[in-house]
Amino acid sequence: MLGKLAWRNIWRNKLRSLVVVISIGLGIWVLLFLLSFNQGMITNYIEDGINTQTSHLQIHNPKFKDDKELKYFIENPETISETLASDPTIDKFSTRILSSGMVATSKTGHGVNIMGIDVDAEKQITNLSKKLTAGDYFPEGKKNAILIGGKVAEKLGVKIKSKVVLTFQDVNQEITTAAFRVLGIYETNNAKFDETNVFVRKTDLARLTNLPETTVHEYAVLVKDIEAVESTTAKIQAAAPNQLVESYATLSPDLALFESQSQLSLYIMTTIFMLALVFGIINTMLMAVLERMKELGMLMAIGMNKTKIFFMIVLETLMLALIGGPIGILLAWITVGLTSENGIDLSAWGDGMKEFGIATTIHPALNLGSYLTVGFAIMLTAVLASIYPARKAVKLKPVDALRSI
Amino acid sequence: MANNIVIETKGLHKTYDESKVPVHAVRGVDIKITEGEFTAIVGPSGSGKSTLLNIIGGLDQPSEGSIIIDGQDLSKLKPNQLIDFRKNNIGFVFQSYNLIPVLTAKENVEFVMLLQNRNEKERSERTKELLDAVGLSDKYDVRPTELSGGQQQRVAVARALAPKPKFILADEPTANLDSTSTRNLLDIMARLNQEENITFVFSTHDQRVIERARRVISVEDGKVESDIIK
Repeated sequence: MLGKLAWRNIWRNKLRSLVVVISIGLGIWVLLFLLSFNQGMITNYIEDGINTQTSHLQIHNPKFKDDKELKYFIENPETISETLASDPTIDKFSTRILSSGMVATSKTGHGVNIMGIDVDAEKQITNLSKKLTAGDYFPEGKKNAILIGGKVAEKLGVKIKSKVVLTFQDVNQEITTAAFRVLGIYETNNAKFDETNVFVRKTDLARLTNLPETTVHEYAVLVKDIEAVESTTAKIQAAAPNQLVESYATLSPDLALFESQSQLSLYIMTTIFMLALVFGIINTMLMAVLERMKELGMLMAIGMNKTKIFFMIVLETLMLALIGGPIGILLAWITVGLTSENGIDLSAWGDGMKEFGIATTIHPALNLGSYLTVGFAIMLTAVLASIYPARKAVKLKPVDALRSI
Repeated sequence: MANNIVIETKGLHKTYDESKVPVHAVRGVDIKITEGEFTAIVGPSGSGKSTLLNIIGGLDQPSEGSIIIDGQDLSKLKPNQLIDFRKNNIGFVFQSYNLIPVLTAKENVEFVMLLQNRNEKERSERTKELLDAVGLSDKYDVRPTELSGGQQQRVAVARALAPKPKFILADEPTANLDSTSTRNLLDIMARLNQEENITFVFSTHDQRVIERARRVISVEDGKVESDIIK
């Protein structure tokens, strides 16, 4: 009966109840969509960071970290390669020779990191081969091929098949110069990365730096399950105690920072929304109580105790939230479903976003947990918001309440 | 019929101290009402009759004195116990009917029995019996807004009787009714009183009610001026 009474009570003033239901629904819709947008952005950012730059984990000679000299390569890479190949948690890995130098044309030059890659293995590890805007990904038989970023190409004024000169030190610290042909121009979602990295074949770089082809400065590793990154990192580190094994969170702390900052802003946003909702509900329910004082007095007079009155008001509030909440969640689910496939194109702000390494197309995504969390938060908010009006109701004295108009 | 005392007030005083000048609404009222009475408490506006009725109904506390209902001193009860006591022992009929607008006539009558945790069969039978007794057998599923004032007050009487209370307190029950409705209502209450020995206590200044009452207690300036048994 309490449920029936509460349900009918909320429809006494249809307009007011509908306004509350709609505001709860719209609020949840907007909140969930913002959460999904944020989540999509975080996921994009982290995935881009992993797929373009860091992979899940990397292995270096510990000295290479501080002083990127060619001589600080990884000793006994065969052992590490064997360890990685035999570890069931590891998906793929590639090896790199790293150097830094200058890429130049007759007009101008530009400082870059030179990444000597195993082109086949790299294809499995990074998305470089998919990010080409012109040219091909290291065509067969072409020696001294180089992939450069779009920004670098623009700065140097080069196109596909243009010749550029790479200048760098060899392992004996002798300056070496070599001509390379631009066979591919790439563009990732991170403008900084594109400006600072060029890719050549590992064999070419080994030859020019007088290092054996088997030299490895960097292992880039992908694990099968992203949740296992930290445990795998620790395991590899234990297996290769003389090397430095680092996960993407350590290699690129901005990824972790971005994630935590975004989470923080989500919590703030959710809290602000819930606070606004609390006051909206308090206002509505207080009005509902005050205009029913005489009736509440009568209910107490004929024998409805304070606990039942209290729960009736809480139930009325909860019912409003139970109608508005699912509407908002459903709308959000539909909107996220519609936008997640093709993404939301923000290319109008693309340049600015790429400076921060954020993709210009955001694919909103929200897991079931977020829907449930917001749903639960709404119910909790409704219950909390109903406490004040409900207390107001039970504090009424029947004799005074009955006298009220 | 045995003359059980249902209501007994002893040295009842009620003073309101809310304003600078205290208002003495009730000044030493000693009355006894026995089972089966059909009693009207009469008096002009401000005489203290409503205050007296509120105290008898356990809705208000006396400043002094005690009120004993069927042997229970109401001042000894805590607020929630008092609510339970009212639920099981006192039936209320209000001047402006005060039905629950979102419930039908049947549900309004059933409501107190639900609070008493009576089973469905019992509730349903009694509701039917009471609504039939007040002449509303065709209005079970009608909400109060669709009933006339007289019909609403008859539902209120049925509701007041539903929990099988010790007595019915009716505060100016005919004040908002036309003469036909008043006559109908008084007929129903008089019949219930005579046939089922239900005790009725009214506060009223309606001459039509006073004429039908078998005992008339006149209150003026918070005191009992006269107590006439016809």
